[in-house]
Amino acid sequence: MGKRIMVVDDSRMVKLRMEDLLAETEYEIAAYCRSGEEAVEQYGQVLPDVVTMDIIMPGMDGLEASQAILEEHPEAKIIMVSSLAYDDTFEEAKSIGAKAFLDKPFEKEQLLAALDQALAEG
Amino acid sequence: MLDAAVREVTESTTGLTLSQGGEPPDESSCTVHISFKKGFRSSLSMRADTAMLTRMAKNAIREEQVTPQDLEDFAKEYFNVLCGRVAGILYKLTKKPSRFSVPTFQWGQFEPEDQRQQFALNYSDDQSRSAQLIHLVPKSGQEQEHAPEETNKT
Repeated sequence: MGKRIMVVDDSRMVKLRMEDLLAETEYEIAAYCRSGEEAVEQYGQVLPDVVTMDIIMPGMDGLEASQAILEEHPEAKIIMVSSLAYDDTFEEAKSIGAKAFLDKPFEKEQLLAALDQALAEG
Repeated sequence: MLDAAVREVTESTTGLTLSQGGEPPDESSCTVHISFKKGFRSSLSMRADTAMLTRMAKNAIREEQVTPQDLEDFAKEYFNVLCGRVAGILYKLTKKPSRFSVPTFQWGQFEPEDQRQQFALNYSDDQSRSAQLIHLVPKSGQEQEHAPEETNKT
């Protein structure tokens, strides 16, 4: 059975890109949320294997949404996906419990490596 | 610094090679804008010929036709990536972390009333279409925290 991903990103372009890159892999997009609030609300119903979470979104940002999800579901495996790829953001993401960080823009190999890394972590 | 980020992000996301110089975009243009919220008190806009932006969006999403909504979504995501790259470079230079607003998009030119243009970089593609990256700073004596000036101004 494929691994189920919840994609959280206000940009539809990112979701389309992920669909394209994940075609014919073991991963499938089980849910797509365009805001942090939506992700927090839907996580418990979808219970995905892994979440890809954008940081800069209207309203609740990805770091806040991840924190909220992890408080309710400490087992959640979250990958932060952002163009803010530098030490300060890496550390903040790590401190709230994100399993991996994916730098935008990304290619298939980088996406799969981040997904594998997140799922491999306990 | 900004110039290198523009060229690199444009090429990696759209396959388009931009050259610095040329005229600012004409009347048929779109603008995407962000404000730095933490670290630097300034903002960045990119105004581009609609034809150039359409070409970039088609390349990025690998579609022959793009809708106005596709164009807007593409422009916001492209600028998000570009500004993230800029924030990363600024962090390396200053060790000051920054965050920025969600990009906004509008057809035509965008001139915030409370900001003034500090400098602009003009770009053109191989079909002589134009784009302009504009660095804006607050008008009223609050410029202590704006980003380092671009050395290669136009």
